[in-house]
Amino acid sequence: MKAIKQISFILFAMLTLGSCEDIIKVDVTQSQVKLVIDAFVNNLDTVQKIRLTKSINYFDSSNTEPPVTDATVIIADSATLKVFPFVYTTNGNYEWKPNKNTGDTFTVGHTYALLVITKEDTLLSFSHMNPTITMFDSLRTVPTEGNGPPQIRPGKFVELFAKDLTGPGNYYWIKTFRNDSFYNEVQKLNISQDMGNGSPQQDGGLFIYPKRFSGINKFQRPYFDGDKVRVEVHSINQLCYFWFSLVVNENRNSGLFATPPVNIPNYCFYSVSFTNPSNPFSFKIKDPKNPPPIGGFFCVSEVRTAEIGIKM
Amino acid sequence: MLRRAVLILIFFTIFFQVQAQKYTLSGFVKDSANGETINNAFISIKNNKTTAVSNNYGFFSFTIEKGKYEISIAAGGFNQSDLTIELDKNKQITIVLLPESETIQEVNIRAKKNDNVKKIDISTQTISGKTIKKIPAFLGEADVIKSVQLLPGVTTVGEGASGFNVRGGAIDQNLVLMDEAPVFNSAHLFGFFSIFNPDAVKDVQLIKGGIPANYGGRLSSVLEVLTRDGNKKQFQANGGVGTIFSRLTLEGPIVKNKASFMVSGRRSYVDILAKPLLNEGLKDSRFYFYDLTTKLNYNYNAMNTFFVSSYIGDDIFYAANAFGVKWGNTTLTARWNHIFNKKLFSNFTYYYSRYRYNLEFGSNDASFNWYSYIINNSVKGDLKYYLSPKVEIGTGVQSTYYNFIPGNATSITNGESRSFSLPDKYGMENAAYVTSDINSTGKFSVRAGLRLSQFLYLGKGNYYTFKDPLVGQRKIVTSTSVAENNEVIANYFNWEPRLGFKYAVNKSASIKGGYNRMVQNLHLISNTAASVPFDVWTPSTNNIKPEIADQLTIGYFKNFSGKNNDYEASVETYYKALQNQIDYIDGANLLLNRYLEGELFSGKGRSYGLELYLKKNTGKLTGWISYTLSRSERQVTGISNGNWYPNRFDRLNNLYIVAQYKHSDKWEFAANFVFSSGTPTTFYSGQYNVQGYTIPDAGNNTRNNVRNPNYHRLDLSATYNVKKTKNWESSWVFSVYNAYNRRNPFSIYFSTNYGNLGQNKAIQFSVIGGFIPAIAYNFKWR
Repeated sequence: MKAIKQISFILFAMLTLGSCEDIIKVDVTQSQVKLVIDAFVNNLDTVQKIRLTKSINYFDSSNTEPPVTDATVIIADSATLKVFPFVYTTNGNYEWKPNKNTGDTFTVGHTYALLVITKEDTLLSFSHMNPTITMFDSLRTVPTEGNGPPQIRPGKFVELFAKDLTGPGNYYWIKTFRNDSFYNEVQKLNISQDMGNGSPQQDGGLFIYPKRFSGINKFQRPYFDGDKVRVEVHSINQLCYFWFSLVVNENRNSGLFATPPVNIPNYCFYSVSFTNPSNPFSFKIKDPKNPPPIGGFFCVSEVRTAEIGIKM
Repeated sequence: MLRRAVLILIFFTIFFQVQAQKYTLSGFVKDSANGETINNAFISIKNNKTTAVSNNYGFFSFTIEKGKYEISIAAGGFNQSDLTIELDKNKQITIVLLPESETIQEVNIRAKKNDNVKKIDISTQTISGKTIKKIPAFLGEADVIKSVQLLPGVTTVGEGASGFNVRGGAIDQNLVLMDEAPVFNSAHLFGFFSIFNPDAVKDVQLIKGGIPANYGGRLSSVLEVLTRDGNKKQFQANGGVGTIFSRLTLEGPIVKNKASFMVSGRRSYVDILAKPLLNEGLKDSRFYFYDLTTKLNYNYNAMNTFFVSSYIGDDIFYAANAFGVKWGNTTLTARWNHIFNKKLFSNFTYYYSRYRYNLEFGSNDASFNWYSYIINNSVKGDLKYYLSPKVEIGTGVQSTYYNFIPGNATSITNGESRSFSLPDKYGMENAAYVTSDINSTGKFSVRAGLRLSQFLYLGKGNYYTFKDPLVGQRKIVTSTSVAENNEVIANYFNWEPRLGFKYAVNKSASIKGGYNRMVQNLHLISNTAASVPFDVWTPSTNNIKPEIADQLTIGYFKNFSGKNNDYEASVETYYKALQNQIDYIDGANLLLNRYLEGELFSGKGRSYGLELYLKKNTGKLTGWISYTLSRSERQVTGISNGNWYPNRFDRLNNLYIVAQYKHSDKWEFAANFVFSSGTPTTFYSGQYNVQGYTIPDAGNNTRNNVRNPNYHRLDLSATYNVKKTKNWESSWVFSVYNAYNRRNPFSIYFSTNYGNLGQNKAIQFSVIGGFIPAIAYNFKWR
């Protein structure tokens, strides 16, 4: 529904031809340096990465977040008690390669624990791995004419025809890659509760219009002959969905209809102490009502992929 | 306690009745030129120093001892009239006043002299339609709300923001009445223009404090917009061609001196002018706004007058194959003034008021459509009993039925339609009041009143109970119940005491004070810096408690002169405490959310301030200076660590200067200057990257910890009056808005570069980037 605020803003901007925006210099002091844990892993057979960094000043243009290099990073499967150690490589990344032959892989239905031990703190987080949708011949193209604003160079838009899993409470993160490059615009961050907004009527059917279309295409740059479009549907959980919603909200939060800026809360990392150091499931949360100020999220996803080549 | 208060009230009322032989002088005050009734006229009896004020329908009544009296009648914009009356029986008269002569000599008008000092009303300002038209305005369009925004105690979030804030209250805390019917969104084009057509407006009254008991339902103010009746004597047409709007008003008698009509319309025409310039794909686009105000009145006889007035207006923006939005108000008011006897005036009103918006986007085979309404139907009756010149008693009842359609949404994909609408909500508001003005002949006058208000949150529908969550988190639904048709889900009773007093220091100075408790059961759900037309109104429910405000205000009023008491001055101070103010959890989802109540929490508010006002009424140069020093704050558990923080419309210093200079019959000039301290805002201080997305971070900042830069602006206008002929009057208005070309920041916002960490920007957004000249042509034909 942020679309409505956006429309309001576009309208407003359109109507106030006299309005203007000036880039100004503002001094802010970073009031708090946060540890950031970027821990989105999945069941794909590729190297899995978890990245640990520190937050930087809002206007720091050095484009480098200080990496955290000396942490211990482990994921453990609560069903099998198998432990997957992540090893530091470079630039804050900790990596682990799954191995299907030895069963060292993420399994739908299992709950995973992520343990991060830094000099300052011991942090624990859990993620239940939910199932994702089935993809089969799910991507179709439509011409740009009649499906959006007029284009200088007509091309194609891609639509995702896939069905939400039956039953309420399925959450997805739909990622789009154009020629293997990820659309990382927050405006296009495409998350779905069931097939749309999660109301009781919206369950078990095809993804609704904005979900199937808006996050996959850019009106200002449609797909052309020879482009390769890949869409991945990651299963996420409810908290992760809320977390992403806040990320979208904060990044769009500007201008006349802005809401007060807020921190994206730490929904999943707890500061803990262990009663038995060798067992990551024998822990005590230090202060359950007051989670530590950590940025990022831990989510284990099942991923299904569909790909289409554009022919004009 | 309450019963005692009522008893005291009755006691006083009886006490002040005097036993001598008495007769009543009553009647109406009217404009000689067009037969329009004149409200707020002062009818003073010279030999016994009593004064009456005509009400909104021009009616007044006195009951005084038998005798011969000299009476003088004065009203703003009219020449004073003096009469001698032999009161030897009850008399009903019609007093006709001549409009103030258009020529500028040192006119001997005592118009409105001392009324700010004499009247018991505190924190009340009236602006006439004529004055509104003289204030330089954005794109040359005279505007009611923009004029109100120049009064002390009134602020706005920024240029183009809809609504206005009174004494630190939110925009939904103003009761905006148009011919008694409430208007839910007073803005065209977000807030650049208001929906009231100045050609149709007689006058506008803003009450900020000491609010009398006959008003209720909002916390901060009452803005009463009265429309004109229409010329009862001859047909006339007024109109104008402006930069944005064209206006036309037709009015005239239906039955001479008995019945008249007025039809007044405006339409913007940017779309018509732009049409040839649009490319093929946008040819079907529509963007315009219009409003139509109509009124009929019928003076059946001396005892009965009927009025029907209506308003229809919409803003329509539609871009082919992309999106369409539409919003607007509709009101209909039917009124019957009945004079039971010379002392008892009554008015019965029925009104219907609706605000709705509609929004759609998408293309041919995939679309999303949504609409939302708030509809209310109300009946009310008000009686005013003019017991004696010293005592007036008012009483009344009102009942309003509300229907809320919070969101009716449908999405269509490949012909497959899905609805995810929210169920309707229903409510009923009942109120009864009694109020009494006691004007002793001595120095002291009192107004005491009591309003009892009731709000019923009604079925049918689902209602929810929530579990209180962790601090600042979304509440969780614990149970859902089903209510039948008209079943009462929640019932709130509130006593609202009102009190006002006036102490006359001398002829030209008085001290006045007021206390009011106000209760509000309709809430505009909006957490954005400026309200959008798509914000949703919601009633008090089992989870949303009525908002309550207690305000104490006191002021010193003084007139001084020149020869003719040209200046009105006042100093007022107020303190307002607010309960059950609505605030929102972080990242609240306010639209199409059936569990909306779980996203809200409530807190306390307080605002306080000092208002200085100096007005010059007569001479070549007229106008006012108003200065307000104010604070508006909130305290909500879960925000800013539970500390008091400034409201988003908190502005410390506000200086407004409004001046009009009549140079000659041909040329008139006007200027206004506005200065306001910057609104508070919150800044991000950090950033980090997750999954390729840059995430801004506010660290441990508190809410509204930084200030936007100050706002100031000068507007100028010059009016050239073309030589009049018998039937035709016209004028050209040349105006410049933002004359010294300042880029006033509406806000500073931070633009986070989502893809690349470290390329964020702070952007100062100015709604008006330069000075804006405009020309308008106005005419009057009769």
